[in-house]
Amino acid sequence: MREIGFWKSPTPMKLSYLILRPLARAGLYALPAVMVISCLVPGQCHAQQKMSKRYPAGKNVRISLKNISGTIVVESWKKDEIRLSATIESPNAHVVPKQVDENLVVDVMNDNRGRGDVGDVNFKLQVPVDSSVDLETRRGNIYVSNLRSGSDRAHVSSEGDIELSNINASQVVAQNTIGNIFFDGEFAGGGTYEFKSTKGDITIRIPGNSAFRLVAASPAKKIALGDFWNNGFRTQDGRKYVGDVGDGRSSVSVTNFSGQITFLRK
Amino acid sequence: MNCEKCQELIHDLIDGALSRSDELLLNTHLQECLDCENVRQDLSSILTYCQTHRGEYEAPANPQAMWLRIRNVVEAEHPAPQIARTRSFLNGFFGRSWELSFPQLAAFTAAVVLCVSLITVVGLRRWGTGPLETTRQFEASNVNDRVWQRQQVINYWNQRIELNKVRWSAEMRATFDRNLQVIDQAVSQSLNELNRNPHDEISEQMLNESLNDKLALLKEFSDL
Repeated sequence: MREIGFWKSPTPMKLSYLILRPLARAGLYALPAVMVISCLVPGQCHAQQKMSKRYPAGKNVRISLKNISGTIVVESWKKDEIRLSATIESPNAHVVPKQVDENLVVDVMNDNRGRGDVGDVNFKLQVPVDSSVDLETRRGNIYVSNLRSGSDRAHVSSEGDIELSNINASQVVAQNTIGNIFFDGEFAGGGTYEFKSTKGDITIRIPGNSAFRLVAASPAKKIALGDFWNNGFRTQDGRKYVGDVGDGRSSVSVTNFSGQITFLRK
Repeated sequence: MNCEKCQELIHDLIDGALSRSDELLLNTHLQECLDCENVRQDLSSILTYCQTHRGEYEAPANPQAMWLRIRNVVEAEHPAPQIARTRSFLNGFFGRSWELSFPQLAAFTAAVVLCVSLITVVGLRRWGTGPLETTRQFEASNVNDRVWQRQQVINYWNQRIELNKVRWSAEMRATFDRNLQVIDQAVSQSLNELNRNPHDEISEQMLNESLNDKLALLKEFSDL
């Protein structure tokens, strides 16, 4: 009987052509299939979760958001409702917003106690224009824009920039350790405003007719009051300025350890 | 005026028991320091609440007995009899009406002047040229004591952080270390400045704020 095989083929092929090439081709088809399967198996995939919820709201809404890590964006819109969108990096992370009366509370810290590192959770909130916000994160940037509220607080425990644009509130607190703080808005009569950063620039952009009592301290001696400087200011060798601008109706405190403090006129 | 002294005097300010100069100093500090102003507002609101709601509380079963218990506790904490004795002696001394003739008055004045001069001369000879240096050292050690006390609290939170740190991501650990280092730099710069100039109010303010920031950072990260 005649043996048929490639070893005894009348036209002998190379080993690589007969064995390695089909293997390579099979591998080429198998690779995408393996990738798809690995993504479908829980725990193997690191795809982000997305969340979007809407809540009814009146005129005096208060948002309290405590995050661990990630960016927080808050902006106003014309609807009488709150829209909360979140991108959650880790599948282990829980985000459970709670609404009590007109208050919306999101406490990532509390919701994930004992779960270890839950990665970044990035929030975007759209709220009625009169809403007050109390925002906290251990790490990450905070952006708030277009609010006319009672009080706005932005606190970054460690590093992250804080940007408050077009804000008209009677109480504003912005504080971080490393990162810049930018405030663009108006000081309401009788309001209190506190800006504090250990290492970062603080820039305050307000209308030229603003009236406030200022206490600004920076051991780095980098305080530029610009158009708001007047002869009534008392200074201690350039490290601290205390004085009134206009009739000093609101109280403004600005402190940083290293970095520039700048007042700009709108 | 520093925050510690200010907060001691706030009660007197609210009671209207301060001299005009102290009141002026205190008000200047309160205008510059939000923390102290908050303390003042808190105390004022407590007092106002108590005044407004006077008589609205339910009386205890035996007010006389309760008052006695409170007095016993207070007296046990403070050596009241000694204070009372000193006060009664001083009250007697100053409460008495003194009538001196002119020669008596002149002799008394001369005696006082002589005593003060002698004490000054002896003091200067004995302690030589170093009173300023001594005061500076005393104030510097005062600051260091206060920092040391705060450091004890900070150490406690540091220990908690070290226990929890293993659960954090590498990125979070790096962030924490970086921020702690920045605050530590601020603390050490303020301390150096205060050692050079113990009366520097800005450095004292910055030291207090940096220590508060450090404590806040530790507390907030200890939750993670």
